[in-house]
Amino acid sequence: MLILATPYINWSALWKIIVASLVAGAGVVVVFGFLLLGVKIANNAKGGGREWAGYALSGVCGFICLAIVAAGIYAILNKPVSKKPAPKKTAAALIAPSYKSTA
Amino acid sequence: MGSTLILVLVVIAGFSFDFTNGFHDTANAMATSIATGALKPKVAVILSAVLNFAGAFISISVAATIAKGIVSPKVLVGGDGLELVLAALIGAMTWNLITWYFTIPSSSSHALIGGVIGATIVATASGEVNWHNLVQSVIVPAVLSPFICAGVAALGTYMAYRLIRRLGQKEARTGYRYGQICSASLVSLAHGTNDAQKTMGVISLALIAHGDISAVNFSVPFWVKLGCALSIALGTASGGWRIINTMGNRITNVESPQGFSAESSSAAVILASSYYGYPLSTTQVVSGGVLGAGLGKKIDSVHWNVIGQMLAAWVLTMPGAAVLGGVAWAIADIFGAHANVGAIVICVLAAGGAFGLWTLAQRNKITPDDLDRTKVSVVEEAELAGVPAALAEA
Repeated sequence: MLILATPYINWSALWKIIVASLVAGAGVVVVFGFLLLGVKIANNAKGGGREWAGYALSGVCGFICLAIVAAGIYAILNKPVSKKPAPKKTAAALIAPSYKSTA
Repeated sequence: MGSTLILVLVVIAGFSFDFTNGFHDTANAMATSIATGALKPKVAVILSAVLNFAGAFISISVAATIAKGIVSPKVLVGGDGLELVLAALIGAMTWNLITWYFTIPSSSSHALIGGVIGATIVATASGEVNWHNLVQSVIVPAVLSPFICAGVAALGTYMAYRLIRRLGQKEARTGYRYGQICSASLVSLAHGTNDAQKTMGVISLALIAHGDISAVNFSVPFWVKLGCALSIALGTASGGWRIINTMGNRITNVESPQGFSAESSSAAVILASSYYGYPLSTTQVVSGGVLGAGLGKKIDSVHWNVIGQMLAAWVLTMPGAAVLGGVAWAIADIFGAHANVGAIVICVLAAGGAFGLWTLAQRNKITPDDLDRTKVSVVEEAELAGVPAALAEA
């Protein structure tokens, strides 16, 4: 298929997008689930180590969730294409070449 | 150089298109949060509007891609550049209103690109469209992104429900509602950064055509940014309840873990892609996410007839908007040298069409109160096998 030829699909960018989406998208759902689980463990425990373990699990998971959100906001603020002048030969330059360079 | 009157009409049409883009796409971020009762409908759309406004100011890379990549700048700085942009915007806006009337979440971005292409083809009757860039930076991502997002959301949902067996239904439903608010907010922000900037790109095209800013290394003027940000925010706040109903209730019966999974996956796909400069359709990604979230829980919980309608609308969006953009151009072109008259005529026709569709839509109106599920307790929600018949049929 012509469309699968490299000029149409930037495979390296595509793989990065898939991996990043899996890690951040599906990952955050699981981590958030463990956060809720930690809260439940802590609530059900009657004091002691189990309660602290629950809160620790929630805390770690909460931190990971926040880190993923921060990564998302970083991605919004730091699009490679928006840098001027656009560096040549970056992934961004390959995806969105200016009209001149392809005409 | 086109006339200043037409430039003013282009700016008005641009802001109007951004308004339709806003209410068309509110559903992307907020439909699942509304459907699971995580947020009241009106609170959800206002939150989304504020974040869209903020997002519109953040970055300009997508605006640059749309303006530079697909249509040759020499067409746009030529004598007919302004009329061409006007016809494109009218085509896109009209398509948005038609799909809104039919309650289909279609891509505003593709409508815009289609409008530009249609008007350019009719105007120049030659190869001034960069098809290679169109396929590479628009069509390929459009085809791939919903699948990627559906896959990610299905995986997320599947694992969430495995965890829920240990977690308990009630805790999970309540907890994931909070998560949903966060992930939906991120989608709204990302939407603002992507979609408002597409209109900024188009208005910038008009300014280039009018000779106000340079075609080489252009930057978006502040008033354009502000106007686009305000238009998309107002459009979002007005609430596209018809499309929210489709996205939240008609694709599948969304529960809060699914809503969270769909929105997180969408945010991840949109942000990862826009990081690499793809002008992605938020609508298609989120629809893919909701579909995946349905499949991840139970394969037969998805209403395939609705998916079929959406797919048809997606395939038709670019050609449909292109035809409308081309027709708008052709009507304006009848007036030949009286370009101002032609421009006014197509604007009046578009406004009339918009009013007509709005009037028709009042007959089977969907209100925020119909969609409010915050009062449904988690237990009732769990017991609800499906969506109320009245909403599902709407």
